[in-house]
Parts: sequence; C-alpha cells; structure tokens
Amino acid sequence: MIGRVAVLAVAAVTLALPAVLDDSSLAVYVLLGLAAMVTVGVSLLMGYAGQVSLGQGAFYAIGAYTAALLALGGAPPLVGLVAAPVAAAVSAMVIGTPLLRLRGHHLAFATLAVQLILLSVTGQLEFTGGDIGLQGIPQFGVGSWEASGAAAYAYLTWAGLALVILVTRNVIASRPGRALRALATSETAAASSGIPVGRYKLVVFTLSAAFAGLAGGIYCFYTGYVAPGSFPVLISIQYIVMAVVGGLGTVWGALVGAGAITLLVQGLDSLATLPGMPSYAPSVLSYAVYAVVLIGMVLFMPQGLVPAVSSRLSGKKRREPSYR
Amino acid sequence: MSAFLTYLLNGLAVGCAIALIASGLVVIHRVTGVVNFAQGTFAVVAGLCVSSLLGLGLPHGVSELAAVAVAALAGLLAGVAAVGRRGTTPLSSLIVTLGVGVLAYAVEIVLWGDQPRSAPGLAGSLSLAGARIQTQHLLVIAVTAATFALLALFFGRTYLGKALTACASNPYAARVVGIDVRRMGLLAFALGGLLGGLAGVLVTPLRPISFDTDVTLIVNGFAAAVFGALTRPVVTLVGALLLGVAETMAAGYGYGSHQLEVALGLMIVVMIVQASRRSALSQEVT
Repeated sequence: MIGRVAVLAVAAVTLALPAVLDDSSLAVYVLLGLAAMVTVGVSLLMGYAGQVSLGQGAFYAIGAYTAALLALGGAPPLVGLVAAPVAAAVSAMVIGTPLLRLRGHHLAFATLAVQLILLSVTGQLEFTGGDIGLQGIPQFGVGSWEASGAAAYAYLTWAGLALVILVTRNVIASRPGRALRALATSETAAASSGIPVGRYKLVVFTLSAAFAGLAGGIYCFYTGYVAPGSFPVLISIQYIVMAVVGGLGTVWGALVGAGAITLLVQGLDSLATLPGMPSYAPSVLSYAVYAVVLIGMVLFMPQGLVPAVSSRLSGKKRREPSYR
Repeated sequence: MSAFLTYLLNGLAVGCAIALIASGLVVIHRVTGVVNFAQGTFAVVAGLCVSSLLGLGLPHGVSELAAVAVAALAGLLAGVAAVGRRGTTPLSSLIVTLGVGVLAYAVEIVLWGDQPRSAPGLAGSLSLAGARIQTQHLLVIAVTAATFALLALFFGRTYLGKALTACASNPYAARVVGIDVRRMGLLAFALGGLLGGLAGVLVTPLRPISFDTDVTLIVNGFAAAVFGALTRPVVTLVGALLLGVAETMAAGYGYGSHQLEVALGLMIVVMIVQASRRSALSQEVT
C-alpha cells in the first residue's frame, strides 16, 4: 500500500517537474531519463540473467541511427521512434544467438568488441555519415503536432521510461521472471528443472537492447544529430556503474542509480566549469566519480543502494517481536 | 616478396607487443581467476612515464626501467583493489578493474593531458634479405623472446613460481600447504603490471600513446590470450603473433581501415568455438 502511494507520488512529481524547470535543468532531466531507460535493461541483464554487457552503448547507437536515418529519409518521426527499439531488439537477437553461448568475462569482452566494431563500421560507411555522423534530424512530432521545446522531450522521455518500467515489472512478476531468477543463481540447476536457459537469456538480452534502442531513438530527436563519437565505450561503462550503484535486478535501483550518478556528475560538472578550474577538470572529475563510485560500491555495498536501504528499513521494523 | 617479408617482420613485432600484454593477462588470470581489464592501462602508464622521463633528460635504460617499475606498482595497486578484499568474486573483480582503468584515465589526464605522446626509441633500420625492418621492431622481438624464456624459467624452476602455479591449479590445496593465496594474487598483479609496462615502454616509440589507447591494447591482448584459453602462455604467444601478422598484412595490403574488425571478429569466433567445447557446469562459480 505504502509502496503504491510512493510510486504514484514519484510519478506525479516527475510528471509535474518539466513545467517548472528551466532549459538547462530540462536537459539534465531528459538525459537522466534516457540513462535510466538503458540502465533498467542493464540491471535486468546483470541482475536476472547474471551476464555483464559492456556493449549496451551499441544498442543505444543502433536505436539512434535507425530513428535518424528513417527521419532523414522522410518517414514520419513516430515510425522512426517505433523502429528504433525494434531494430535494436532484432540486432540483439541476431548478435545474441551466437554470443550468449559465452558467459562471464568472455561475454563482457565480446559485447565490448561488438560495440567497437559497430563504432568503427559506422565511422567508415557512407550512408551513416562517417565520423561526422548525421545532422539536421527533424524534430519529433505526431501528425501536425511538433515537439518544439525541451519540455516536450521531457514528457516523451517520461512516457518512454514509464513504458520501460511497466514492461520490466510485468516480466519480473511473470513465470519467466521467476525462471530468470533461478537462472541467475545457477544455470545448470535451472536447466535441469526444465527452464530453457538459452532462450530466456536471449529474451532478456533482446529486451534490454530494445530499452536501449528506445532511449537512443528519443536521444537522436532531442539532440538533432548522431555521430560515432556520441557513443563511446565509456557510455556502456557508465550504465554498468549506474546499475551497480542502484542495486542489480531491481527496477527502482536502476532509477536511483541513474539519478544519483547523473546528478552527481552534473553537479561536479558545474563545479568544474567554474572560473579558475583547469580545462580538463570536467572530464577528470567525471572519470574519477565513475571509478571511485564503481569500485567502492562493488567492494563495500555489492547489493547496491536500494536493497541496502530497504533491508535496513525493514530491519528496524523487525525489532518488534516477530515469529518468522 | 620483400614487401611480404617486411610486413611479416613488422607483424611479428606488433604481435610480440600484444603477446606481452596478453602474458600479463594470463599470469593474473591463472593465479586469481580474474580477467584484468586494466591490463592496457599499465602499458599506457609506462609509455607516458617513459616519454616524461626522457623529456626530463634522463638517459635511456634508466627511464625505461623506472617506467616499468611504476607500471608494476600500478599493477600492485590494481591488485589491492581487485583481490585485496576477501570474498570478491572474479566477475566483481573484473568490474573493479574496469573502475581502476577509468580511475587511471583521471590520473593520466591530470598528469599528462589528453594529447597523444611519443618517446624516441632505437633509431635506424636494418636490411634483411631485401626487407627493411626498424631496429626498434627487432628490440621488441628480442625483449619478448627473453621475457617469455624468463617467465618459463620463473614458473618452472623457482619456488615462488611454483607457488603461483599451485594457487592457479587449486587455491584450496595451496592454502592447505601454507601458501598465502591472497599475497600470491597481489604478486601476480604486480607481475602483470610489469609485463604490461614492458609492452608500453616498447610500443611508445612505434606509435604514440594517449590515455585512451588502453582499450585497443586490452582488446588485442585479450584476443591473443583467448587463443590460449587465458591459461596457456605459449599458445597465447602463438595467438598474439598470428594476430599481429594478420593485422599488419591487412593494413599492408590495403585493408588498413578494417584492422580492428579483423582482430575482434577473430576473437569472437575463437571464443565461441571454445565455449561450445566446454560444459556450462565447469564454468559456474560455486
């Protein structure tokens, strides 16, 4: 009951925020929302399928390029936005079929390799605009309505994130969700109780790619241009940091992680651009934050922020005599 | 024909540098079960160090040794973070070394800026059966050969080396006979740092190094190490040489822009073939 009220309160506040924020805060809002969408997928993949993907940025890029190419080709923006997650999901299914035979560090490096290959190829191909990328992507719109301001993109991001959360919640609560939890603890045990391990892992991989693709689609309409440089390897590492910070395998953990890291990096960024700071300060500070937070969390709070806090809260409640 | 020979010799030199990175990965993975994502970072640190030290006017030899020592220290520090705490699983350690690599970015930019740096190496070149080869390339090949010979002696003939191997084959049994597995893990990381540093010092005169070169280095090194299933040094050396020659040939015969794809594609194929030969049970962390 309290949980449901809290969810509604968070939803209402975040929905009301774009109306009162100024343009620079709206930019943070949109980026935070997009990062959260990808992180929910990463968290699902790491927490439930027990697999690390260092190449989630690749699917983000596939989504962005798909939407951008369609929009530039004259298709309605809505078609581009729908095609973005579909294209990402299809490529994840194609790539994942051979790749998910790998596990652990092998899969981590293989997904990293996929992203490096993708970046290198898009940097060379003619129709993706090479290293310069694609520019002049039209604004998002449906019919005669056109998203002109940052606030419109904030609402679009909110809606996308809401969809991602809804899908994830339902997947986790379903029968396949329970199977996935079994799979995360021991693949062999899960397989011997009749769970189609390979298929389920592929489904989670595809789903997380679709989330990243959707975020990429919104991103390309919001910024108006995409280039290989927009999707460095570091972006994939950033999603892992966010997922680990919030707590793996929890939707709220992914949201809290994405929010905490985005706001922290933005705060430090505005600190680093103060007069008198060296020109390299912003990048150094963000690298340092990612690194310190990632190492600190993995070593000292491996379960993540949200589970740690909620177990402490329920621990307090349990001081009353309970017979469990 | 002489062009072919030139590409072959250059490719062998490139492969040797990859082999040094990969050997560091193998040493660390054998002893601790951790894949060290920061392995490329050690090479970058050593390369940047040597460019600074030579810039300060220190003589050759001293600068290189100091840079390798700094890399070994960096390896030790990475080890403290990755395996210093008891009960860290190998996959958590991988993520920690990822963090170490990103942390190194911050330190490197503060100390050296974000522009590529180079260092003078051995000048001049030799003619060998009509093929020209830079002296620095020969140095890389010679140092790598000596290093692998020393590593074989170290692991096969010394008490410490055998203790490291013992940790690799059965950590529990190693603990039972009184070997401090954690200290051996740290030692392996320091050794990995040293090997990475050696690679960095040798490569910097050949191609400029910047803070984010580590991704290319680690991916190539991992691709080579995968040939030897991350445990067998000799197969790793062969894999690295193959990779180096294949990349140099691709570049030499006009497919230079697809060098990276060739290496990465090869790595993925090798991994998938290997994975299909192993059962899931043997890879599960208990």
